[in-house]
Amino acid sequence: MTTVVHIAHDVTAGALGWLHAHRELGAFEDDATADLNDPNGVYKSLCELALVSSLVLREGVAGTAEQAAARELLDFSWGQLRDGDLLYERQLRHALLTDPLETYVHHARSGYHHESLEEALREGSAADSLTEVLPNRRLAVANAHRVVGIHRDDDLMAMLRQTWLGRTPQPWALDWYTAYHLTHAVFHFTDWGALPDALPADVVEYLENWLPVWVDVWAEAGQWDLLGEFLIVGACLPEPRCEVAEWELFAKAQHPDGFVPRDTDPVVDDPRKRFHDHQHTAVVAAVAGTLAMSRLLGSRT
Amino acid sequence: MDASSCARDAADLAGRVLGALRGGGGVDLAAFLESRADPTAGLGAVRLVGADVFLPHVVLNRPLDAQDVEVVTASLAVFPPVAEPAAPEQRVMAWHDWSTARLLARVTGDAAVATPEDPAGVLGPAREWARWSVAVAQLSSLAHPGATGPVVDAVVAQPLALCRGVLRTVLRRDFATASRLTRWVAFVHAAGAPLPFSPVMLVEHVALRVGPEPRRLLDLVVARHLVGEP
Repeated sequence: MTTVVHIAHDVTAGALGWLHAHRELGAFEDDATADLNDPNGVYKSLCELALVSSLVLREGVAGTAEQAAARELLDFSWGQLRDGDLLYERQLRHALLTDPLETYVHHARSGYHHESLEEALREGSAADSLTEVLPNRRLAVANAHRVVGIHRDDDLMAMLRQTWLGRTPQPWALDWYTAYHLTHAVFHFTDWGALPDALPADVVEYLENWLPVWVDVWAEAGQWDLLGEFLIVGACLPEPRCEVAEWELFAKAQHPDGFVPRDTDPVVDDPRKRFHDHQHTAVVAAVAGTLAMSRLLGSRT
Repeated sequence: MDASSCARDAADLAGRVLGALRGGGGVDLAAFLESRADPTAGLGAVRLVGADVFLPHVVLNRPLDAQDVEVVTASLAVFPPVAEPAAPEQRVMAWHDWSTARLLARVTGDAAVATPEDPAGVLGPAREWARWSVAVAQLSSLAHPGATGPVVDAVVAQPLALCRGVLRTVLRRDFATASRLTRWVAFVHAAGAPLPFSPVMLVEHVALRVGPEPRRLLDLVVARHLVGEP
């Protein structure tokens, strides 16, 4: 257990340090408005930066330097979002979109608030002004409402049962793409490991049975990003699953400067493209490390 | 005799066994040997297919052909089982030969044969399920209806390791290994052990993707029989 804590600490420190050092590459290149040209570009990566930073602060297990970096990253993403005004304008303009809520939640979790946005979110929620999304994405929205404190009559268990994972299919009925649906169902249902005991027993058993195989198969294929997501899933289980061999494998993929390649494809030299291609994997690595440390240290007491 | 011609002969022989299982005829090992350019290589093929040459008798209760028994006896005489296996592949062959000799003794009423060694020697620890299941796959001819013995007991005791192993091969699209492990999964199911997935659906999934090789199809015929869906 101690070994995994050490590896997870080093992976987190490296990945978070890399995100912090290169954060300006994740800034908007022009004045972004509510009509984002490319919502899956800078906007999405800012959301993910805020996610990992909010979890580092929530768990409080990282070192002082990492906690300071997390706070600075949240200041950075909140600043890029014009202290939430961008989210507010986007929500007003595109009332059915859920991404303003899903981006806001990580900031709200860490003490950044925008009263007008919350008012718009409450109004939209009451009217069920939500676009229709995939079942695992629906869980993301429900969890965001839960964390922001917007009360709804959402039945998260029923939502989980609508996902691929919730049906516990035959374990070979999985591909790379659907594996991400599986991991995200766990992330949102457990609020990123905060509610591990909420997972129903059959889903826990299913994950305990098959995670070792899925990890083995996609690690062999060098899918480091997915491997990192599986490590997060392991840390979200009631009895955290943090295998030292899997952590060593993941840590080996990390470069000395903290960069974690998403897969085994060649890495481009252009710094901005490099950042955008791989920042998700650094986020995944730091989330995995943070949750593994927290669960292992927590379960020891 | 070279290894590749022996393997080719073994594939042909597996095809004959498959034909016997699907149709009405026998395996007719004597005719098989006569059709070979090199009879010694033919006997090597009989050794490689091993206990599976008796499958029509074991699975479908077809009468035993006395000539088949003679040919199998001859193959064990020409290629005596490894007495003291050292390398992993020798350990596999020792158990494979044991299974052949044991089934031969059963059908002829001869005295039982001694087991080679602790099955942990050939399988390794089950917690290393990926490596363990590869060894289990190599011993798929031990998984026939009614089979008993130390390896069978060891595999039946580890359904999760076995199911993880076959899941790995299916996801890696290694259907040569998957068909062998599917046979074991069906065997463990028939032995009454609860499994964490549906063995019938596994058989169906693998059957659609396994291709035309007789060796793989042979394992699947046995698997289908064991899960009760021939």
